[in-house]
Amino acid sequence: MPAFLSPLFLIGAAAAAIPIAIHLFYRRTEPVIDFAAMRYLRRAPVEHSRRRRLRELLLLALRVGALVLLALAFARPYIADPVIAGSGDATLVMVDISASLSAPGRFEAARERARRAIEDAPATQAIGLATFAQALDVVAPVSQDRAGALAALAQIKPGAGATRYRAALQGAADALEGRSGRIVVITDLQQSGWDAASDAGIPESIAVAVEDVGAPETNVAVTSLRVEGGEAVAAVQNFSSRPATDQVIFAVDTQRVGAVPVALAPGATAEARVPLVSVGSGSLSASISDRDGYSADNARYAVLDADAISVLAVTPTGHPSEALYLERALTIAEGTRGFRFRSIGGAGFTAIEPAALERVGVIAVLSTRAVAQRGREQLAGFVRGGGGLLVAAGPDVDAAILKDALAGLVETTWEPRPAQALTFAPDDSRHPVFRLFGGAGTLGNVGFSRAVRVTAPASASVIARYSDGSPALVEERTSGGRVLVFGSDLNYRGNDFPLQPLFVPFIHEAVRYLASQRTSRTEYLVGELQVAAMPGVVSLPAPASGRIAVNVDPRESDPGRMTADTFQAGISRLNASAARSEEAAAKEREDGQFLWWYGLLLMVASLAAEGVLGRRLG
Amino acid sequence: MTAQAAGARPSELRFLDPAVLARLGTLELKARAVVEGLLSGLHRSPFKGFSVEFAEYRQYLPGDDLSAIDWKVYARTDRHYVKKFEEETNVDCYLLLDVSASMGYGSRGVTKLEYGGLLAASLAFLMNRQRDAVALTTFDDAIVTMVPPGARPSHLRSILVTLDRTTLGHRTDVSKPLHVLADGISKRGLVVFISDLLDEPAHVIDGLRHFRFRGSEVIVFHLMDPAELTFPFDRASRFRDIELGDEVMAVPSVVRQDYLDAVKGAIDRYKRELGSEGIDYRLIDTSTPLEFALISYLSTRGRRR
Repeated sequence: MPAFLSPLFLIGAAAAAIPIAIHLFYRRTEPVIDFAAMRYLRRAPVEHSRRRRLRELLLLALRVGALVLLALAFARPYIADPVIAGSGDATLVMVDISASLSAPGRFEAARERARRAIEDAPATQAIGLATFAQALDVVAPVSQDRAGALAALAQIKPGAGATRYRAALQGAADALEGRSGRIVVITDLQQSGWDAASDAGIPESIAVAVEDVGAPETNVAVTSLRVEGGEAVAAVQNFSSRPATDQVIFAVDTQRVGAVPVALAPGATAEARVPLVSVGSGSLSASISDRDGYSADNARYAVLDADAISVLAVTPTGHPSEALYLERALTIAEGTRGFRFRSIGGAGFTAIEPAALERVGVIAVLSTRAVAQRGREQLAGFVRGGGGLLVAAGPDVDAAILKDALAGLVETTWEPRPAQALTFAPDDSRHPVFRLFGGAGTLGNVGFSRAVRVTAPASASVIARYSDGSPALVEERTSGGRVLVFGSDLNYRGNDFPLQPLFVPFIHEAVRYLASQRTSRTEYLVGELQVAAMPGVVSLPAPASGRIAVNVDPRESDPGRMTADTFQAGISRLNASAARSEEAAAKEREDGQFLWWYGLLLMVASLAAEGVLGRRLG
Repeated sequence: MTAQAAGARPSELRFLDPAVLARLGTLELKARAVVEGLLSGLHRSPFKGFSVEFAEYRQYLPGDDLSAIDWKVYARTDRHYVKKFEEETNVDCYLLLDVSASMGYGSRGVTKLEYGGLLAASLAFLMNRQRDAVALTTFDDAIVTMVPPGARPSHLRSILVTLDRTTLGHRTDVSKPLHVLADGISKRGLVVFISDLLDEPAHVIDGLRHFRFRGSEVIVFHLMDPAELTFPFDRASRFRDIELGDEVMAVPSVVRQDYLDAVKGAIDRYKRELGSEGIDYRLIDTSTPLEFALISYLSTRGRRR
């Protein structure tokens, strides 16, 4: 539907009355003379009045049109997105299922309010049901199916997410799909639910009603859990205005390892500690028994697994044989000091989700085939994020592609050279990679039949050289992670290094050295990952394998509330924000459509036609 | 009585302005005023020298040829009588008056229809006085009224009454009525055609030619209003056709010359083509005294005889 960016200019269209007034004024001044000898007069250059009147009207229309078009052009017209046909008033009931609703009786109260809201909605209105915490989840789309909405209501369960009103309201406005109507928010009005980071808004045509289900007066929560110096340390906070006592129970893999009583003044935080004896792996939990407050924050989890270094090898197709020796060298080591190895093809690496690289410590580039632009950008991002990169300059790795991918990060490059029998030796035997070898002699047994000529920049460190003096292993330290460039392949094609006993410790030390800059995150908040919907310890799916602890957002434990008016005031801010957003969107749409330009063109054409016609009319 | 050549233009001061004449009472009175005014101004009668066969005596009237007075009768009766001859009374005069809507135009108080009606009445009066039979037909695109020929005084009255009751008709289309009338005239006579000729000239000429073919003499009085002859307008105006009602927009200063050329072209064509058919054509400006038209008629009659 048409809309205007500057509708005030439309007032200028009133100027169209000027030519109309002039037309009407001059029209009356022409006298009418009855005459008989018209047959002689018609032979003179006269104009039939009917034709003249038509011309005058056309002339008038062109003049009026030109003025109106000018006003329209200045009003900056654009075609707005159409409102969905057939839309009418609708009610969307959105139920808070955040962790704060886990207080005794609160969720049931919310469900009952929602049921009443659905049943009390006017019969002519469509009804929809959604739940929300950090985002909105529509469980019954807006329709006339009231029974379906009630059935969906019976199925909803309390969650453990954090309340984010803005995101939820924005989702609700989207769910109404341009309809006018009402959003009924059933919530505990938790103060921490307003997130100022969002600039989303809801249209003016949608009213928001708030149903307050209340909140408990007290809440005691475990707000953190960590391992510190062989001890498990849990922080417990009292969010109520009266003292509280409780007992923190620590457990590893469901086996109780200790219990610590805590006494908490109003608003105070206390730490509980228990020693962890010979426990190197497993899931650690600390829980309390606060029955009056939110139950979701009564426990907190941590992962005790020493982090095995995750290595991702990029090979031509991802077939295991393409990184056989590297895989064997890494999988020999097991346990907390071990490695997790996986290989992936160039195309697969290009398509991989960034989150999957989050827990990867080292990427071994054994091939650049099928690594498209997105894959190259991910490689650079990985290094910038602290990831280690081991580049084996074998026949499948294109120096140009790597240079393009790591532009600004790595300057080391190489070029092929004729086959030549070479050996290599450490240039810096104190480097961590060669720390275990204790001298150059042991590496001298490695024979190279094919190697590349590596060119290292001055900022790079040459840590091993071939027997001809050219760099064999170069390290570049970036602002993020470390990069090692090995001047041959690692799959027994240009050298016999994989067959040498030194290959395994070399690879282990090199990977550990590269991964030392990368710290793996083992704790996530509910809702941060798709697999982290509820608190606990969960295993991540491949390729980012491993276990993580999922906990409730500590901000959600604060039962501080706001009033319904404050909530509505927050929505008003949303409206203002929405108005600004709509204005920006309208301007963007108008800029893209350029309708004012066509309006001006039409106006010029009208004036030209008016000039021609006016001249002919005299 | 001193003779003066018939058709000589008398002083205009002696004649009645048509606008003044229009304000007189009955048509008979107007016709009488015109005819008697005309005849009193003439120094000799236009009816002279065309004896064929004696028919009757008639009391002398001013304007009669003195040579026609029978002095013997005067000696016996002490009154002046003139001889009337057979041919004079045998002439039937057909007055054809256009009453189409365009004849209703008049820029100076007298419409063409009023002028033409008075002209017809005057001619009827004049002819009746000399005992000629007079017929009257009015027409627009068809014959509207028709009074058959007659020479009695009472017949004159019926013609005058008919003229007096004449109203404007529809659009001009002389072709059909002219042919119908030409076919209906059984006796050769004099046809006086009074019209503004706002029709296709070829149709007009063809219709009048039909009368000539039937042996009648034809006089055409082409009536034009002075505004039609000079186009005196000065402001841009919408000119509305009083017959058809449609309008044209014209700036007089721009169209005047073309208009006058068109009028002159039509007049010249009528003069040329009617003259070649032996038809007298008289252009009458309706602002000029009616007597001029009568003099034209009388001179034509005199010349024919």
